[in-house]
Amino acid sequence: MNDVPLQWEARQHAMDFLHLEADLLDRRRLPEWLELLHADLDYRIPVRTTRERSATTTFSAAAFHMIEDRSTCQARVDRFASEFAWAEDPPSRTRRFVSNVQALYADDARDTIDVRSNLLVFRARGEDAAIHLSGERQDVLSRGPQGWQLRSRTVLLDHTSLPTLNLAIFL
Amino acid sequence: MSTPISPRALELLEDMRDNFEQGLVPLSVYNDPELSEVELDRVFNRNWVFLAHESEIPEPGDYVLRTIGEDPWIVVRDESGTIRVLLDSCRHRGAQVCRADKGNASHFRCPYHGWTYKNSGDLAGVPHRVESYRELDLKQWGLVRAPHVDTHRGLVFACLAADAPELSDYLGGIAWYLDVHLALTEFEVLGDPHRWVVGANWKIGAENFAGDSYHTESVHRSVVEVSLFPSILLKHGVAAQGKRHISGLGGHAANLNHDVGAPEEAQFWGYPSEVTEQFDAEGMDPDQYELAKWSKLSTGTVFPNLSYLCSAFVDAPGRPAGTVLMLRQWQPRGPAAMELWSWILVPKGASDEYKERVARVATASFSPSGNFEEDDTAIWSTIARTAGSRYARSRNLKLNYQMGMPGMAEIERDENWRGPGVALMSDLEDGGQRTVQRRWIEEMLRP
Ligand code: FES
Ligand SMILES: [Fe+2]
Repeated sequence: MNDVPLQWEARQHAMDFLHLEADLLDRRRLPEWLELLHADLDYRIPVRTTRERSATTTFSAAAFHMIEDRSTCQARVDRFASEFAWAEDPPSRTRRFVSNVQALYADDARDTIDVRSNLLVFRARGEDAAIHLSGERQDVLSRGPQGWQLRSRTVLLDHTSLPTLNLAIFL
Repeated sequence: MSTPISPRALELLEDMRDNFEQGLVPLSVYNDPELSEVELDRVFNRNWVFLAHESEIPEPGDYVLRTIGEDPWIVVRDESGTIRVLLDSCRHRGAQVCRADKGNASHFRCPYHGWTYKNSGDLAGVPHRVESYRELDLKQWGLVRAPHVDTHRGLVFACLAADAPELSDYLGGIAWYLDVHLALTEFEVLGDPHRWVVGANWKIGAENFAGDSYHTESVHRSVVEVSLFPSILLKHGVAAQGKRHISGLGGHAANLNHDVGAPEEAQFWGYPSEVTEQFDAEGMDPDQYELAKWSKLSTGTVFPNLSYLCSAFVDAPGRPAGTVLMLRQWQPRGPAAMELWSWILVPKGASDEYKERVARVATASFSPSGNFEEDDTAIWSTIARTAGSRYARSRNLKLNYQMGMPGMAEIERDENWRGPGVALMSDLEDGGQRTVQRRWIEEMLRP
């Protein structure tokens, strides 16, 4: 599928989705963000290690900073709504920068898009020094009755040791 | 190996020692640049320090890069199968010879001038040796080896002191509690350890796992509220019947929650039958097996900076539980930061499906994104700020570690307890934490 207008259209859908998503997450409108998640969501942030150049991968096959489905994301959002969820009280101030979006339809019905993009998250929390998390997202979006939803996401972080006291935010 | 200490630091430590039996601890020990310098020498460079689990380096040549204190050490299985712990510093000009977190190598070749070391640490090759280094004695110029390396049930430790106690003597009674887990079956590390940096002193983590049961009701309340953990395990008081705090283990401490019931109610921390079927009572004494059988939650700390935790968790309400055995290390990174390293151990013989469930529930509970862990680190990071305050330092502000002390409560000692150490029949007391601190003061004051 190398049709240029189709690629352009797929990228436009993907960018609209990613920008909306970033906005909801940055504004901490988490229940609305949940609605963007497909019922069969598969969401992973594999642990990364520093390896020699000859290594075939630097990502762990079995260890994850997050390994989620729709229900576990719901559980996390419910927990953050508790008045005892100290991790995000006071809440982080975040800003997600999404760029370098490449997108392709993955099926002839144009209901699935494979997306690659870069993500930079700025996070400030209380008086702590602000941190950045940086990585690549590999997403699959799928179109349903409610519009586009996130079907799967793998976040390939550039960090081995995370520079953050916790990952109480979604990437 | 005597290390210098400033008069101010010495005075602080002696004052801490003198007030310690009253349960008073200076706040500033949780963020003091001088003390953190001293502890790298006196605590980390002369006690047995955990480095790796053997399953991370199963084959000859397998290595992982780890730290003792803040220094880089290669943990490698050499060609003969012996585990070596090598300072990652070329003997020629000091460049690091290992640049990856893990891998497999028959040799480590220094990139600066090309000196090459076997994975045993022996110097094997020096470029232009015949022309320019004829008299060089290769035997004297191998990578520096940790003088003492030993393992306990798959846990690899090293000690850098010239005169070290045997590892088994060092571990003493805590080995009995570790083995209640590790002797049941063979465990392996699931994937790679989690690593992240938290702006808190490493001792806060070590103390927390040694016996800060008191924090769970408050800090972890949200997890119970959304049904990710049975509330009974976090409640104190009457519900605390089977709770025991074990101290008197020479700097190590354990915290247990167990509940002896009818035979068909065996707990084993919630491991499913597909796992418990593989448990073998042969490897342990009957008292250990009994304890395992009725255990619901265990934590503990091996001085100085290794902790463990075992319990069953879920990642969403109503899901089948997975039992997590976690190893946790609190690595100092200056006075007000630590790098957390966290390993998930799974029974080697468990199914792939079960291992994946454990990966999911462990990540959802204790990891950088853990529903439990996130709240602990959020609180701990605030301690460093107050501990570093001029006020705390100049007034020698003291913290209260008096919970459960004589006069504060009448806590019974379990006279029928079959394990080593002193078993108190309450989880509302600070004995385990004071055990860690007492050992820390001793080490810090020992020249
Ligand atoms: S520093 Fe390693 S060979 Fe020179
Ligand atoms: Fe905790």
